[in-house]
Amino acid sequence: MQWKLFADLAEAAGERTVAVDVDDDASVGDALEALLAAKPALRDRALNEDGELRGDVNLLKNGENVDADATVAAGDELALFPPVSGG
Amino acid sequence: MQSLSIVGPGAAEVRDAVAARLDGRVATVGRTESVDDAPNDADGRFELSENGDWTGSGDDRSFANLLADLAAEYDYAVISGFSKLRLPTVVIGDAEVPGDVLRRVADASDLDPGDLAAELAELDPYVTLEALVAEAKRSPLAERSGAIATFTGRVRAKDAEDDSRTTHLKFEKYEGVAEQRMADIAAELEEREGVFEVLFHHRTGVVVDGEDIVFVVVLAGHRREAFRTVEDGIDRLKDEVPLFKKETTEDEEFWVHDRA
Repeated sequence: MQWKLFADLAEAAGERTVAVDVDDDASVGDALEALLAAKPALRDRALNEDGELRGDVNLLKNGENVDADATVAAGDELALFPPVSGG
Repeated sequence: MQSLSIVGPGAAEVRDAVAARLDGRVATVGRTESVDDAPNDADGRFELSENGDWTGSGDDRSFANLLADLAAEYDYAVISGFSKLRLPTVVIGDAEVPGDVLRRVADASDLDPGDLAAELAELDPYVTLEALVAEAKRSPLAERSGAIATFTGRVRAKDAEDDSRTTHLKFEKYEGVAEQRMADIAAELEEREGVFEVLFHHRTGVVVDGEDIVFVVVLAGHRREAFRTVEDGIDRLKDEVPLFKKETTEDEEFWVHDRA
């Protein structure tokens, strides 16, 4: 599956898109771990000291807000972004 | 309106070849060094034939207001010979341009006009408030509408007298999801009694001091639902649509969400 990163999260990772592979029964949280393993510089920006997603980071799967325990499958598009600031 | 700028030797020929491959209403714009029969007793002169063919000339038009006028009436504008436009640009040669460079080639013969025409449909459109209002008025429910309310968001140079001046903003968009969320918000607002059409447009990329960023247009039966809906529309866009803004002032550069 493919991660899309935006704004300062893309800057922290140094990439806007990152492809990761996880097991068949994996969760979005597992896919996030795979992303952070590939882009370690992103970890401090995305997670708090308890290792949970920071409150100011949005997590989407195929355009919908999801929790880390949601399921994930090959072909899904995952996204991480900061608070929106359009207008 | 989709727009494309072409600069460099042979740009005018490429412009006409691209225009010939587009469906819909196409305007082409070229550079002329002088207008031979420029009017000297009027600021503008127009000639119109019985079947609607027209020509015009004059000396009081900036490129920006020409493009704004075209946007309400044409599906495409293909422009040659202007190197200072912040539009998607095809460069023949080594000119530096302010717009996004779609292609850079050494010679005009390296370009395939058919490919350019096909790509043009995918680019960010050039949209004005007037074009959105014109679109709203084409609604099948327009005859029941007595009110249009609009909101325009623009780049504010200063929020207070002693603020460091904002030179530009740069917007990033979650392609696909942003459009879907705007469409969902519009559809929900259009379910309201007496609200017939809700249209959004938000620019991306660099938007400089004083330029417009976002438009919301509401076509409604009466003014109260028009005002209420345009306010809710821009509030929801700002809360829900994945767009991200980096601000550059004379002193610094920062992500706006870090200062909110």
